[in-house]
Amino acid sequence: MHPKKEETPIHKKIAENEKFLKDKMGIGKSFDVGVRKMNILNKEVHIYYCTGLCDSEFIIMLLKELLEVDHEYRTSAKTKDVIKNHLAHQQVSTAKNLDEVIDRVLSGLIAVLIDGQNEGFIVDVRSYPGRTPQEPDVEKVVRGSRDGYTENIVENTALTRRRLRDGRLRNEIMQVGDRSKTDVCISFLEDVADPGLIETIRGELKAIRIDGIPMADKTVEEFLVKQGWNPFPLVRYTERPDVAATHLLEGHVLVFVDTSPSVIITPTTFFHHVQHAEEYRQTPMIGAFLRWIRFAGMLTSIFLLPLWLLFVLHGELLPENIDFIGPNKKSNIPIFLQIIFAEMGIDVLRMAAIHTPSALSTAMGLIAAVLIGQIAIDVGLFVSEVILYVALAAIGSFSTPSYEMSIANKIVRLILITLVFLFGVPGFVIGCTAVLLYMCSIKNLNTPYLWPFIPFNPQAMLQVLVRVAVPLSKVRPSIVHPQQHKKQSDA
Amino acid sequence: MKSERNGQEETDHREPLEQNQTEKQVSFTGRVLTIGFIGGLFWSLIGYLLYLLNFTKIKPALVLTPWVVADWKDQALGNWIGIFIIAFLSMLVAMAYKILLAKFKHMITGVIYGIILWGIVFYLLRPIFPALEPIQELGTNTVTTTLCLYVLYGLFIGFSISFEYDELTKARQEGH
Repeated sequence: MHPKKEETPIHKKIAENEKFLKDKMGIGKSFDVGVRKMNILNKEVHIYYCTGLCDSEFIIMLLKELLEVDHEYRTSAKTKDVIKNHLAHQQVSTAKNLDEVIDRVLSGLIAVLIDGQNEGFIVDVRSYPGRTPQEPDVEKVVRGSRDGYTENIVENTALTRRRLRDGRLRNEIMQVGDRSKTDVCISFLEDVADPGLIETIRGELKAIRIDGIPMADKTVEEFLVKQGWNPFPLVRYTERPDVAATHLLEGHVLVFVDTSPSVIITPTTFFHHVQHAEEYRQTPMIGAFLRWIRFAGMLTSIFLLPLWLLFVLHGELLPENIDFIGPNKKSNIPIFLQIIFAEMGIDVLRMAAIHTPSALSTAMGLIAAVLIGQIAIDVGLFVSEVILYVALAAIGSFSTPSYEMSIANKIVRLILITLVFLFGVPGFVIGCTAVLLYMCSIKNLNTPYLWPFIPFNPQAMLQVLVRVAVPLSKVRPSIVHPQQHKKQSDA
Repeated sequence: MKSERNGQEETDHREPLEQNQTEKQVSFTGRVLTIGFIGGLFWSLIGYLLYLLNFTKIKPALVLTPWVVADWKDQALGNWIGIFIIAFLSMLVAMAYKILLAKFKHMITGVIYGIILWGIVFYLLRPIFPALEPIQELGTNTVTTTLCLYVLYGLFIGFSISFEYDELTKARQEGH
């Protein structure tokens, strides 16, 4: 797929190799790449490395071993074989060309080149700076495993493998980005996941032509699904290995991207964004209860404000038994503008909270809550009900498990509010219909976005509405087109 | 001894499950009927909610007016019974879609189906609903609300059935 690059084979004369590598990697110019030259069995041996990405302890041990070779063997011995034999590490491979050597060295492996040989050895002594697995911030559970993915793809696949010791779990690795050469890994169960889907994802990833993907998974996602101006999140991310393993078992395909702790789950529908691991750590009854509360929160965040505005603007619509709703005091600013200002205020606050150092955040909270909220009402800028309903909608969106989904819902809410202000009831119903139609028309990786609601699938919808006990959910969701329909054997 | 018992248990368990599986493959019609029933139930419930919020003058009990004259049809009970009757009628609507339009894959088919249904109910069938006013007198709110409801209902029925049909034909092609 990539335009075939001319490959430079390893030269028999080590001086030629050195010249090439010095030129290409900038040894001597960049401080972080270097070469250690030594003499073993009367042959010049070069060891190329990239500081910071490899473990010096290991390299020193390897060097000691090699230096001992020099004392033990006579010079007539087969240098190459002796050296290979004494590279005391389980991951030693041979390299035939210098471009591969460069790739490897810059990934943190070391390359051992020997004078007079047109093959070099690559030893995996990588040790990347990074953190140890921690509980992910956004997907906390009360009970359950506390390990989360890290920025290291090898650790991430290992955390997954620890939960699925199945030989049929495939981790296919490839490099994306002409300059960054970032590792991207597709994981799936070979005899469960839909081969068509795997092929599609593989094709999309291979077709990526970009210099680098420092934003890792997000960039890959944008190549994978055609997002456009669609506000709704088209893939689900998780930082929890148990969630990832669950989805693998259901027949989903995961995409790991190096340097990111989030893993992409495909294919995803709207309802993947309303589930949370916590529901599966509680009894089914409690899980279902939590989920319904969450649904209520999400519906509140979308519909409450537009409906309230509608009843404020068209008081005659209010049913008799709730006709106390609506502002009692006359306000100086139109309610619509008050809502928009308050919504903007909440977003400004949210952004400020992200950027403010935690030492100042208490002060900021105080200013925001007490001063702005209360005094805005006192001086007659805001009606207190506006604050109440905007706050309810905001709390509703915080209860959405997926952060991306909560922001998308906010956009929908603002559109509905504007339509209600402009057109009243027709604006509201046509707006809702249009949003639903639009969501129905979204198809990412051949999966209808609103499945299992539209198109309707009774069993799967039941799984969404209540949290079914695990022993009772015997089949995999049909939307991933699993090769094996059942996940619990009959006997 | 132990393994023998296990073996027996296996066969005992397997039989009903295998039956389930064959049942699933045959029951396209069953699925269509479920889709119809749930679709009617859900969207008429939404319709009832919108009626309670005074978005529309049309209530689910309207379906009762041709044959019920008793007072209860104007109360909540009438609406609940109306919702269930609509759910059952909706099974017929779904069957009609299955027979006529199931092979059209695009969701727009369902939307158009919904609009046509709205036309049928509000124009053609108007004579049998004495309580139904002519469209000009219903007002913008009622017309847009009901039209949107029918569009979403049509989409629900149509898209679901077409999708199911599509999956089924794909599965069959792969099977052979």
